[in-house]
Amino acid sequence: MKKRPHIPPPLAERLLQRVLRSDLAEEVLGDLEEKFYATVEQKSVWRAKLNYWYQVANYLRPFAIRKSRLKNSNYTAMLQHNLTLTFRNFQKHKSQFLINLAGLSTGLTCVLFIYLWVTDEVSTDHFHKKGDRLYQIMSNHTDASGVSTWKGVPGLLLEEIQATIPEAESTTAFTDPHEYTLSVGDVYFKANGRFASQDFFDVFSYQLAEGNGKTALADKSGILISRSLAQRVFKTTDAIGRQIVWHSWGNTKTVQVAGILEDIPSSSSEKFDFIMSWNYFHDDLVSYKQWNNYYGRIALVLASGTEQDEVAAKIDAILKEKLEGDRVSLFLAKYDDKYLYSEYENGVQAGGRIEYVHLFSMVALFVLLIACINFINLSTAKASHRLKEIGVKKSLGASRQSLMGQYFTESFFLIFLSMMVAFSLVWLFLPQFNSISQKDLMLKPDGQLIVAAIGLVVMVGLLAGSYPALYLSGLKSVEVLKGKLSRKAGEVWSRKALVVVQFSLSIILIVAVVVVYQQMEFVKDKNLGFNRENIIYFEREGKFIENSEAFVNELKTLPGVTGAAVSGFMLGGANSTGGVDWPGKTPEDQLQFWETNVGFGTIEMLGIEMVEGHAFSEKFGADSTGVIFNETAIAAMGIKNPISQTITHYTGDKKIIGVVKDFNMLSLHKTVEPMMFLLEPAKTHFVMARLKSGNEEETIKGIQTLYESFNPGYQFIPLFLDQDYQALYASEERVAILSRYFAGIAILISCLGLFGLSSFMTEKRIKEIGVRKVLGSSVIRVVYLLTADFTKMVLAATVIALPVSYIMARKWLENFAYGIDLTWWHFVFAGLAALLVAWLTVGLQTFRAARINPAKCLRSE
Amino acid sequence: MKETKLGEFEEVLLLLVGILGEEAYSFKVAEEFESQTKREVSIGAVHSTLNRLEEKGFLESEMGQATAERGGRRKRIYTITASGQRALETSRDFRVSLWSQFPAFATGKLNFD
Repeated sequence: MKKRPHIPPPLAERLLQRVLRSDLAEEVLGDLEEKFYATVEQKSVWRAKLNYWYQVANYLRPFAIRKSRLKNSNYTAMLQHNLTLTFRNFQKHKSQFLINLAGLSTGLTCVLFIYLWVTDEVSTDHFHKKGDRLYQIMSNHTDASGVSTWKGVPGLLLEEIQATIPEAESTTAFTDPHEYTLSVGDVYFKANGRFASQDFFDVFSYQLAEGNGKTALADKSGILISRSLAQRVFKTTDAIGRQIVWHSWGNTKTVQVAGILEDIPSSSSEKFDFIMSWNYFHDDLVSYKQWNNYYGRIALVLASGTEQDEVAAKIDAILKEKLEGDRVSLFLAKYDDKYLYSEYENGVQAGGRIEYVHLFSMVALFVLLIACINFINLSTAKASHRLKEIGVKKSLGASRQSLMGQYFTESFFLIFLSMMVAFSLVWLFLPQFNSISQKDLMLKPDGQLIVAAIGLVVMVGLLAGSYPALYLSGLKSVEVLKGKLSRKAGEVWSRKALVVVQFSLSIILIVAVVVVYQQMEFVKDKNLGFNRENIIYFEREGKFIENSEAFVNELKTLPGVTGAAVSGFMLGGANSTGGVDWPGKTPEDQLQFWETNVGFGTIEMLGIEMVEGHAFSEKFGADSTGVIFNETAIAAMGIKNPISQTITHYTGDKKIIGVVKDFNMLSLHKTVEPMMFLLEPAKTHFVMARLKSGNEEETIKGIQTLYESFNPGYQFIPLFLDQDYQALYASEERVAILSRYFAGIAILISCLGLFGLSSFMTEKRIKEIGVRKVLGSSVIRVVYLLTADFTKMVLAATVIALPVSYIMARKWLENFAYGIDLTWWHFVFAGLAALLVAWLTVGLQTFRAARINPAKCLRSE
Repeated sequence: MKETKLGEFEEVLLLLVGILGEEAYSFKVAEEFESQTKREVSIGAVHSTLNRLEEKGFLESEMGQATAERGGRRKRIYTITASGQRALETSRDFRVSLWSQFPAFATGKLNFD
């Protein structure tokens, strides 16, 4: 054989050998090789190789390729047979097929929605690359009322950690995002921003599009702005070097854009559009830099292989050394857990949003279970339709396995079909779901979703398909063919038990919905101790920082405004201090007070009742040394006859001039905490006004005109106290709405199953009904006969579900310091609702069956 | 029953097999086809058609000699069977009869020049 310089592409040759019928291999390979060398000579090696591939591709023809071993084997034949039977069965029993399809696909739709929601929740804040070593320092504050947990730490801690703790690979201090006013030229706008120290980008994985994060944040007059903010303000992202003026609370600072941030990903729990230098914040803005001022937030990345507890102990030791006493202790919380596990009770982690994740996962499981039970019940109940088929197959020698295979094919096919329907439904209703859940979910065909969907199909297939498969394939052929199949009592029982389970789950969901709804209504209407209706407020900024008095006086005279004042009042509380001493205070007595700065008339305007003394008023002169406490504070301090007593505030001695009735400033999750009002009009952050109800819109327009004449350039953004209040419960509200939908769907699916089952029962007993009617039974009797069974099942379900739902409702209500009382009617309502729905479902059919003319149904025998 | 009509491509291939005689194997038939018709064709397409013609009984085949250009592999030589010849003749006669029925062609009045 001649030595050849070129050979055909080996990969193509191997491919051909793999797929080609072995008896053709020799001649084909020979032909192709001849062609290859001919082309090499006529054209080029490259063309020859290309042509070889082309020829190989052209041999992928039915006649030439190897027959797969599976083809024509028993397996494929059986599979084909099973599929044919499946189709025929679906066609023959259309109503059963449709009930199953509707039930399973709505169930799966629910599950897919919940899956999307849960994965989104769980992935929040998980995009930070060093997330497994990323921690935030938290502080536990102990006082007489227990331990409260805060994100705040002294800002001074940053340098100490950097200097003394080598295990901290990188550490950054920052503030929470807050809405600030910025201006470029004459244009004022608001944007969310924060301060952060140099190493911010080493710790967190927010992306910078341009610029150097370290130098930008080291520079006191540097600012990083997001791409979208740059686009909004400068109409271009090429904004480096442009000037922006930052305003807050009397401070202004001119800063230069030193870099562009990529927009914060939606999976971040904190959203912000600009970052400024921590150095500026710390050096120029924080006036009280002490170890007992918790104004900073610190996050750090631990070096790999270091123990979290060890480092936490070291950090805690720093604070303990600087600060006498052990009233405050520091600990580390995993940053990416922060979103889901945000609640602390007495210094111990106590859940948070993770509870909703669990709640919804459970709902998904319930709904899925209910849908599976439908399928199981309908297929076993309708087994009688297929007895002949099973008998004939078995007597012809079909093994149990092959019959099981057939039923599994059927259930898997149905579930696969339902999954397709479910995906289309999810795709269809995703915008609605997003608007309810306030999320930005998308249906992307990513690997995880596909795996989850396949897993779901397999799981449901096994769950729903195995019982019918085992049951139907286990019937005895002789008995079946003789028609002597006696229904075993156990089998009817198991079917009933499943219906009971189904309705128990539905009733639990109904109770949950009723209780959640009641609680939310209670929260919305609760008298908080102050009147939150029709109060608007807006920030004091620009000119208002010096002369808000004239504006407030003008505001009061506007038609439609019934009162106005400056105010530092904020729902959810703003400042809190432990720096109060009172007569009789012992070193163990530590109390944390909420501190609210107000002006003249603020307390009256908010509608807070005075119990003793008087509110701040011009009549009594400038009581800047006066203080007003709430009842809880007075009781906690144990002061008798509080009026005119003197306490020592960290800013100086103060005389108690009044006591207000307790009111809820925090959310109703918490009881009333000690609080005080100080007359500090200059330190208040807002102007508040109460509007006459009726034409608020016009009044607000009037206020806007007034605002713009007093404070040109600044944006007038009125906020509503009532909306703030509702925002405190936004997540509960959302959960309430979602759970209402899911409970509705669960009940719907249960009813579908009941409908299928009852129609089957009446159909089976139609002869019996005929005979009974001939013998003189009345319609009512017959209806009673048919519904009694179902009624019993629903009642049994009620009995099972009520204790369970009672315990669950109690547990949920414990989250609220002010919850509704659970009353008997919540449960009776749920039971009755389930019963009513069941009767409606069953009733129509039974009634129709009971009115049948006996001659019609008896004539065939 | 197999289809026994001849398609255009089949007819051409059948004729080419006849023309090539001892050299009638897939590669050569494809080469010949390309050079005679100036149309591109893949060996796979030719092979599949030859295979079909064999199934119809118009061709027979047997493994021939191995040559060095083919890496020492043998080739499958096709020969026309009696029924293949008949099919070709029928096809030709049919066309001739059509031609003769067309007056313009039959009398040579049609002038393409």
